[in-house]
Amino acid sequence: MIKAKKYWKGLAELNNDPIVEKLAQNEFVEDIPVDDFLGDSDLGSGSTSRRDFLKFLGFSTAAATLAACEAPVNKVIPYVVKPDEIIPGVANYYASTIYDGHDFASVLVKTREGRPIKIEPNKTATNARVQASVLSMYDSARLKNPMKGKVDTDWETIDADIISKLEKISTDKGKNIALLTSTIISPSTEKLISGFSEKYGNVRHVQMDTISHHGMLEANKSTFGVRALPTYHFDKADVIVSFGADFLGNWGSTDYATDYANGRNPNKKMSKHYQIESTLTLTGSNADERIPIKPSEQAGLLYSLYNDLNGVGTADSRISKIVEALKSVNSSIVVCNSNDKDVQLLVNSINKKLGNYKITIDISNPSYLRKGNDDDVANLISDMNIGNIDALITYNVNPSYTLVNAHDFNTGLSKVGMKVSSSLYMDETATKMDYVCPDNHNLESWGDANPSNGIYTLMQPTINPLFNGRQFQDSLLSWTNNSKEYYNYIQSHYMNDDKHLEQPGISLISDEPDWNKKLHDGYFITENREEYNSDNEIFSAPYFPLLSSEDIEFEISEKISMGDGSQSNNPWLQELPDPLSRACWDNYLTISASNARDLGIKNWNVSNGALNGSMVNITVDGYELKNVPVMIQPGQAVGTVSLAVGYGRTHAGKCGGDVSEGVKPIGHNAYPLSNGGVAKIEVVEGTHEFAATQLHHTMMGRDIVKETTLAEYIKNPASGNHTDLYHTHDGKKKASEVSLWDEHDHETGHFWNLSIDLTACNGCAACVVSCHAENNVPVVGKEEVRKSRDMHWLRIDRYFSSDMTKEKSEKENISAITMYADMENPSDSPETVYQPVMCQHCNHAPCETVCPVAATSHGMEGQNHMAYNRCVGTRYCANNCPYKVRRFNWFQYSDNNQFDYNMNDDYGKMVLNPDVVVRSRGVMEKCSMCIQKIQEIKLTAKKDGKKVADKDAQTACSSVCATNAIVFGDANDESHKINELKEDSRKYDLLDHLNVAPSVFYQTKIRNKA
Amino acid sequence: MILLKNFTIRLLFISVLSSLCFVSISQDVAEGEQIFKNVCKACHNLPGGGMSTGPDLKDVLNSEKFVNQEDRTETFIKYVQNPLTLGVAAMPAQDLDDTQVLSVLEFINTYVPEEKEVSSNEEIVVVDEMSSVNILIIISIVFIILIIALISIKNTLKKIQNQKTETISESIINFCKVYWANSKAVLISAFILFIFVLKIVFDTMMGIGVVEGYQPDQPIQFSHKIHAGVNGIDCNYCHSSARNSKTASVPSADLCMNCHTQIKTGTITGETEINKIYDAVGFNPETGKYIEDYQQKPIEWVRVHSLPDLTYFNHSQHVNVAGLECQQCHGNVEEKTVGQVAFKDELNKVQKNQDEGIKFKHPTLTMGWCIDCHRTKEIDMESNEYYADMHEKLKSDPKYQDKKITPALIGGMECGKCHY
Repeated sequence: MIKAKKYWKGLAELNNDPIVEKLAQNEFVEDIPVDDFLGDSDLGSGSTSRRDFLKFLGFSTAAATLAACEAPVNKVIPYVVKPDEIIPGVANYYASTIYDGHDFASVLVKTREGRPIKIEPNKTATNARVQASVLSMYDSARLKNPMKGKVDTDWETIDADIISKLEKISTDKGKNIALLTSTIISPSTEKLISGFSEKYGNVRHVQMDTISHHGMLEANKSTFGVRALPTYHFDKADVIVSFGADFLGNWGSTDYATDYANGRNPNKKMSKHYQIESTLTLTGSNADERIPIKPSEQAGLLYSLYNDLNGVGTADSRISKIVEALKSVNSSIVVCNSNDKDVQLLVNSINKKLGNYKITIDISNPSYLRKGNDDDVANLISDMNIGNIDALITYNVNPSYTLVNAHDFNTGLSKVGMKVSSSLYMDETATKMDYVCPDNHNLESWGDANPSNGIYTLMQPTINPLFNGRQFQDSLLSWTNNSKEYYNYIQSHYMNDDKHLEQPGISLISDEPDWNKKLHDGYFITENREEYNSDNEIFSAPYFPLLSSEDIEFEISEKISMGDGSQSNNPWLQELPDPLSRACWDNYLTISASNARDLGIKNWNVSNGALNGSMVNITVDGYELKNVPVMIQPGQAVGTVSLAVGYGRTHAGKCGGDVSEGVKPIGHNAYPLSNGGVAKIEVVEGTHEFAATQLHHTMMGRDIVKETTLAEYIKNPASGNHTDLYHTHDGKKKASEVSLWDEHDHETGHFWNLSIDLTACNGCAACVVSCHAENNVPVVGKEEVRKSRDMHWLRIDRYFSSDMTKEKSEKENISAITMYADMENPSDSPETVYQPVMCQHCNHAPCETVCPVAATSHGMEGQNHMAYNRCVGTRYCANNCPYKVRRFNWFQYSDNNQFDYNMNDDYGKMVLNPDVVVRSRGVMEKCSMCIQKIQEIKLTAKKDGKKVADKDAQTACSSVCATNAIVFGDANDESHKINELKEDSRKYDLLDHLNVAPSVFYQTKIRNKA
Repeated sequence: MILLKNFTIRLLFISVLSSLCFVSISQDVAEGEQIFKNVCKACHNLPGGGMSTGPDLKDVLNSEKFVNQEDRTETFIKYVQNPLTLGVAAMPAQDLDDTQVLSVLEFINTYVPEEKEVSSNEEIVVVDEMSSVNILIIISIVFIILIIALISIKNTLKKIQNQKTETISESIINFCKVYWANSKAVLISAFILFIFVLKIVFDTMMGIGVVEGYQPDQPIQFSHKIHAGVNGIDCNYCHSSARNSKTASVPSADLCMNCHTQIKTGTITGETEINKIYDAVGFNPETGKYIEDYQQKPIEWVRVHSLPDLTYFNHSQHVNVAGLECQQCHGNVEEKTVGQVAFKDELNKVQKNQDEGIKFKHPTLTMGWCIDCHRTKEIDMESNEYYADMHEKLKSDPKYQDKKITPALIGGMECGKCHY
């Protein structure tokens, strides 16, 4: 009997091979180089035993721990000589002007210890781009030194080179110098340019606009003899008809939004607004009635409108009610975005027929914000191409990027003898230049502006130039061998004291004290102005047939965030969601749902909710863009597609795209397609990933935004403001009457409330950027936005109406499943509502009750506080928030190379508000109702021994709201306007059935329609 | 009768008039005193107080400089506004208008040095409430008596039953044996003990003043004692933004030069430390002139009071609105050299804190320390219009009746007020 079996490992063992014996003795087959890794032979003789090693280890751990207890040594470095006006810790405000060739605003700049950190409106409204311009100043991608042939140099070299070359050109007969600039609205700069022209002779000054208004300017020139845009008074018009003009967003002055809202007060007078357009614009989305058309139909419709007004024939059936409305009122406005002179002549004739001049349209005090001349630009390019231009100086323009025929410009440029660019960035044009002169940002410059007749604004620097730049005007002064400083030049120009001038200036400012006062105010109106005579008008109405075609037509559009693309390296603007598509970090072809169906284009959500879309190749007028993503946009007219300009920058910077650094451009450049026309669309393989911040389009039959019509409102001011009642044993009751909550004491002290008027809000998003700047809200980038981790404290929800309603399903006996499925789809031409949503500061806050560490708690003054340093990041509060306004720091967004935006940049960090903490990873954050501002105004009031005045009570969002839709104030102080709004019958709480008793409330949306 | 009536009316009229005059004069003097304290006191002692940086201003118009002048008052005003009028720049020019200088003069002329009252020997008897330790001792004595009593009762009962009696020590030992055998009881009491120890450890840790007494070396051996103590310069003269801003701010070097253009030798360190200021601003003490085109070097002080970013603190709220004295939080800085974070015990000895009943239990610059004061300091609501409405409501609300209105009561303890 075998007691133990013997298993062999192999035949060798069975055969008793000696190698097996040897292997069994050695654990490792190969020799282990123990001696090698223990190194020198002294090791064995060392006195450190294993125990000693452990002692050392323990000691060093303890030492490290103790060392960590010691606080770091902070330095505090005072001024050597403190400027009188600066008190460390107290903000100074300076009146100035922002004008980048596209957007204009008179502003107040808030500076802290000499750093501009925030822009507030001063007399004029500001839009999102003006708000964001303060960050653009701190852009480290800006040009830092003057450059000669791509190499850094100094100003002396550059000046000597340029002057000698210019002098050589001016002495040679038949040689030409061209100055290509953006629209110049500064009277003193115009004078400098004319001085420059005089000195060198043969100088041609060409102005260009990124979005050209040439047709309109020419039309006004032939009608009124003045090449300018009229000033519109949208507040005085009873009927507003806009053919594609986005006057609330990107067309004309930022003040039009204010005027428009003033003319739409349901308690006084509410204008009726019709918008006839192809691409859904911000203005179109606010219209009472919107008629989608193809771009080619615009002229024909205007002509039929004109004929009907004159009693010749009847207008197209689509606009017949517009004609009725126009005929029935005394004051109206008809505007059009067409860049065709003849179409604009027709518009002028219509307005004349309606008697609008001198009532709603002021041509005797025109606006000078657009002066670009397409003919001049075309001539310049052809002259460049035949070698007629020997020197080209560009200022504040980027023609290689913004011109429709940029290719021709670039070929012409290579034939120009001397190429000089004065620019903020090494942009698409500057890279092709011989000399690049870094310009100064508005906030670093002196300047003046004359935006419209009789109105002047002054620009003053709020910081020393960050880089070795020089503003263009100073360059012009040195190139004309003028040793004066531009500041003295402007002053002399306005005081006409010929101390620093060769030619006479304008006498708008009497003396030094007057100058100081006007500089302090930043904005002044002069009565002493030349009014244009608009009596000898010559009206003509060219004929346009009403075309119809089956082709898909292309039209460019402009986003409220990116504008013309000059600020495309600004992360705040890149991450600002488009009000209509709610997507950011992108441009895309917008298409109607039915066209998309026909072409097989899809948008779909992936498992984490993020939006994906098909891609196409699009050819317009022989120019092809490849792999353009497509977004199905409700409201886009059937048979049309559109792409926003301002994207596809190749030399913007690490944020907007910079091919020289290997950063791919964001989106596609739509400028080469600006002329529009028939689009050939071909669907290609591949999927595009969008970063959309709102993934649903409709309210699904709920009354999140409560709305009514003007007629209903007049009958019953509370119409549309429906409240759900609960069944109780005492009968039906409001949620607030069956509360289980203990009330806070809001009788004593302040009770801060915020009212948002949904009728006035047009979704312009200036408040969102203002909130970013005020509260150090981080930028997280496209990938994170796709994961719904955007950090906006304030978002503007956008809802489209759906063709399916509960009433319709009841009437037509449609099953609930079909009804809800259909409700998800917005109409092809929907009504749009915007709803700004921030923390609602509930007085029965669901977030407060679930926080395990009491990091979020309630204040006596009605705010919901958030103590970041107490938060442990459970995110229970965000889960329990019915409004989904809490934002979690998934990562460290500052000083992190993974998030290489302004908070990871020494310059970009200078824009941070020193009164607000930069949040760290793992904590929750949300709207604080600008508690730092509230504390500040309270403190000022206490120091002055006064009550807080209504006008001083402002949050970041309310102070920049152009339409006064957001109003902030103390509900316990009768002098504050908020009390009136709180009692208004339009007032409602968002999701009032929850009875969370918010401190933020809304006013119902009222549409002026039947 | 009529005569009498007239007389009375006149008398009344005159008295009203004279009282008005009195008011206006006293206002002048009061304004002058205020200006003197804010401006002049930086270099001059109160009249009769002897020589400081500048001369004693008592009877100033009869001093060497002015006695021979034609219109002494006029010359004095001119001199204060621009000392160069007399050809000597012995002091910096002051930005004061004529009436302000006049009121200062008024104050100087009317000022009578206060006789320091000899403080009576009243001792401040602090009646402490019975401390928790005393209560514990009393309770434990009661318990011991109870145990002894119970054991003796048990023994008496056993005696009656003729059982074997135990002495007190035997009883306790037996009890312990039984207790030790019961694992559940041991576990529970161990747990309670553990929690108890944990609390003590936590409290002790929280009580450690990490920054208390922090007094780093500074680039200049500045002495608060000489400046604020001996020379009596108002704290706000150098830390001027404490009244207006969130930071008290370290003064800029040009502010030092207001006096140190004249004072070139220090009391303790001689010229070494003062020369550091000259080095920063570019001043030649020998010629008494600033060096042209000098590359100025800021003085890099080491920050003493360093709050973390997560805490918002505003000096002006406390100094300007609440009217706190610097010493209430910073201790008697005028007795120290370079800046130091005060110890809480030191602050508790500050007279004004004692007067207002503020007693710090937590170490300086911790949150508990802030709250100690926010819970006890009474807000003066009467004199500030801002609080008027709130005060009205608090007075009429029975909830707040007979309560001291402290910051804590009106929201001064909410997280969001300091953390945002």
